[in-house]
Amino acid sequence: MSRTMAAAWLVVVVLLGVHLAWRVERGLTFGTDLMALLPRDEADPALQRVNDQVAQSLSRRVAILVGDRDRDRARQAATIMTRDLAGSSLVEITALPSGPKRFAALGALYFPYRSGLLSEDDRQRLLDGHAETLETRALSQVFGLIGMADVRLLRRDPFMLLPAFFAALTLPSSRLGIDDGMLSVTDAGMTWILISGRLRGDPYALDVQARLNTVFEAATRAIRAGDPDVQVLHAGAVFFAAAGAKSAMADMSTLGVASSLGTVALILLVFRALTPLVLTVLAIGVGMGAGLSVSLLLFGELHIMAMLLGLSLIGIAVDYSLYYCVEMFAPGQRTPNQRLVRVMPGITLGLITTTVGYATFLLAPFPGLRQVAAFSVVGLIASFATVVFWLPLLDRRGPVRHGRVLLAATALLWRFWEAPALRPVRIAVLVVLAGIGLAGAGRISALDDVRRMQSLSPDLVAEQARLQQIAGFTIGTQFFVVRAADTETALRREETLLDRLRPLRLAGALGGYRAPASFVPSAQRQRQNRTLRQVRLETPLLAGYLAQIGLPAVELDTAPDGVLTLAAAEKIEPLDEILGELTVADGDQVAHIVMLDNVSRADAVRSAATGIDGVNFVDPAADFSRLLGRYRRRVVALLMVSAVLMLPLLALRYRLAGAIRVMLPAVLTIVLVPMAKALLGDPFTFFDAMALVLVLSVAVDYAVFCAEADAAYKPVALLGVWMAMASTVLSFGLLERSQVAAVHAVGSTMLLGVVLAFLLAPMAGRRKQREDG
Amino acid sequence: MRRRRLLLVLAAGTFATAARAQYRGVAPGQVLRGNFMQERRIKGFDRPLISTGDFVLAPGQGLIWRTEKPFAIVTVITAKGLVQEVGGTETTRLATARLPFLGRLYDLLGAALSGDWHKLGSQFQVTQQGDATQWELTLVPHAGADPVAMPFRSITLRGGTFLDEVRIVRLDDDSDHLVFSGQTLGTGEPSAAEAALLREAGK
Repeated sequence: MSRTMAAAWLVVVVLLGVHLAWRVERGLTFGTDLMALLPRDEADPALQRVNDQVAQSLSRRVAILVGDRDRDRARQAATIMTRDLAGSSLVEITALPSGPKRFAALGALYFPYRSGLLSEDDRQRLLDGHAETLETRALSQVFGLIGMADVRLLRRDPFMLLPAFFAALTLPSSRLGIDDGMLSVTDAGMTWILISGRLRGDPYALDVQARLNTVFEAATRAIRAGDPDVQVLHAGAVFFAAAGAKSAMADMSTLGVASSLGTVALILLVFRALTPLVLTVLAIGVGMGAGLSVSLLLFGELHIMAMLLGLSLIGIAVDYSLYYCVEMFAPGQRTPNQRLVRVMPGITLGLITTTVGYATFLLAPFPGLRQVAAFSVVGLIASFATVVFWLPLLDRRGPVRHGRVLLAATALLWRFWEAPALRPVRIAVLVVLAGIGLAGAGRISALDDVRRMQSLSPDLVAEQARLQQIAGFTIGTQFFVVRAADTETALRREETLLDRLRPLRLAGALGGYRAPASFVPSAQRQRQNRTLRQVRLETPLLAGYLAQIGLPAVELDTAPDGVLTLAAAEKIEPLDEILGELTVADGDQVAHIVMLDNVSRADAVRSAATGIDGVNFVDPAADFSRLLGRYRRRVVALLMVSAVLMLPLLALRYRLAGAIRVMLPAVLTIVLVPMAKALLGDPFTFFDAMALVLVLSVAVDYAVFCAEADAAYKPVALLGVWMAMASTVLSFGLLERSQVAAVHAVGSTMLLGVVLAFLLAPMAGRRKQREDG
Repeated sequence: MRRRRLLLVLAAGTFATAARAQYRGVAPGQVLRGNFMQERRIKGFDRPLISTGDFVLAPGQGLIWRTEKPFAIVTVITAKGLVQEVGGTETTRLATARLPFLGRLYDLLGAALSGDWHKLGSQFQVTQQGDATQWELTLVPHAGADPVAMPFRSITLRGGTFLDEVRIVRLDDDSDHLVFSGQTLGTGEPSAAEAALLREAGK
């Protein structure tokens, strides 16, 4: 029977192994987009689609600023950077209108429709009845120190309103200007030149990141070789993603290696024999391989974070074989099958409770955590099956006799929990723990802000901040989506919105905005502007103004009834690109984007859309943070549900009182860990809550082993628990060192949790001595 | 500091005295005052646009260019850029940071001021005539210069102890002719009102 099962399990393992080998042969790829781990907002799928497109477009932006004290050297450096990036075919460099020809195309587009085009400020002046300020401005430009007028323009646009419209078109908050074909700014004696572009590949693909970094670094070296003083600043989601993936990879390899070596050393030191190590490695290997193989089968591709958390499975998968191997320390001669029989109830209950814990991950709609759950559940079952079916057949070891010191040490912990004389000390310890709990409860605070949890590379954050400060713009992530049945309606809705955003901009609630309507007003607005200009400006003031400057004749409108259309503007460089970013194809609907810069009062900006049909404010980071908060609360509820679910399971074996005694150390642990972390200054995050689900499973596992042990076996059982705890500390505990905040949260919660669970586990032991005495 | 001084010269070299030996310049702490007459000729206009007024130049602080006729315009130029006001209302503000062209013009005129012909030569062909008491400097952009960045046919500066005359011819043959008179080089600070104007423009 057992040989049949062992053979059947071998078939399964071989099949999973072949599948894994085939996948590795084809090349394994891992996802790195942290946002992909987070839940989706399914309330408005159309809005979600638009958001995804905009987010994708934003994440492909790349901005590089090169600066030097000398303008020519800065331009030389910018030329090299542009050439190398464009030459790599990884980045499409945003072309600038350069030379008179490019402006000519733009001018030819707008010029015939100039009578309907007014800058936001000029329109407001006319609406407010301050037409004379426009006349005064024109006069000062004609007569001023620096002449800004030529007769061809003055004849057709006597108040020079089209140049004012153009001047307002550039980003209001940008400090950049075009200098001889390059976007430049001078700042503290430095000439800075902006090179911006769009990534051609997926910014979250590791090979794209690696290739871009190689090209960028080579170009930077080439520039520095010719000009050591040059400064290069870079920003863009792809660089953050690359740094994040690099640190996750580094975590994975260093923590993975450290954890594996630590576990090997632990086993060798404790058992002083190879057999337990071989058996354990076998159980872990089968568990990991099966977990990876099945996850790839289920999901197609694994996220790097799921991989990282999944790998920590070593820490739990190892438990089953450790519990088995520790039986070698048990007194008396035992066959492998007798060893298995002894640990079977413990590891079976352990598997069930841990699976219940992981299964709650499946209830949370976080795609990445589902991957972790699937990886872990499959891996644990595979490890369990390996221990149950294979280990007794492979185990040829007799009992081990060198365990006296170790067993004496674990006996000490038992003594602490059971010796009647130590009762006051136990009470004191429990009082201290209660004190920690109370003090922590006063300090605990939740953190859901995804921006603070992503742990972006601080160097890159500082560099991006400097780039934005010099260039005077932010790479905004907040925007409005304006949806309508047709373009004209969308433009009108935008204008309603922009008219409300303007006072907010003047009040400093945001730095600026860009919408299709800023470049091409609605037909309605163009006609209003035309009337406004005729009635308020030209009729009362034009004749007097022309007499004053001595211009004999003007030729006003060439297209008195025509209006500029978005479709026409979209064909002209560089508007094709700008408008391409601000319009999203969405079936037969029209979706326009109003991009926002430097939003400082998100609530005020959000409420500007109130009452305008089809307009939604999108703040991806805030939306994700809200979702994280929602799911953090949900996970805490799931934690309570799984604790309650475990009680009847345990009661089947221990009756209710026994089940409560087994649950007590586990419940104390999950309550105390977040409190203790709060005292250390750590906030309580969604990821802590997730880790607590694991802590609960593991803690129940430990308590079950203690509860299963009769008096003679207590030190052996606790040695098994100690080994399980030590190996978990070696794997999960090392995650505490991770640069990724979410992984750090999981690691530190697990570290504290398993240590506390180990120390409290003997509470669950049967009180034989007391009952006897 | 040098940069600031260069700025002052934006107004077509108000005090640019090109002959190196003769240049007295305006030192920090000194203030140059004078009157100007500007005659702008634009093709297609009935008559030249003539404006007159006075100016105040304070090294390290800026230039105030006050047009009195045909109507009052105050133009203030500082390191930060150019600001124009009419009747106390700001009508134009150009930031040097956004218009590197402005900054480059200062550099060029600064080169003219300090007699750094080599630097001037990188953008202009420079011809010098006359002697130390009566000199003339002609700047012509090199062939092939970007017409957007350098929309001039030629710039001519004439003077003796001070700069007396500037003639700027644009590519479309529109021209500006500036004549300076009554220039006095004094010591002391600009007046309180002038200092306020410079501060406001330097924001």
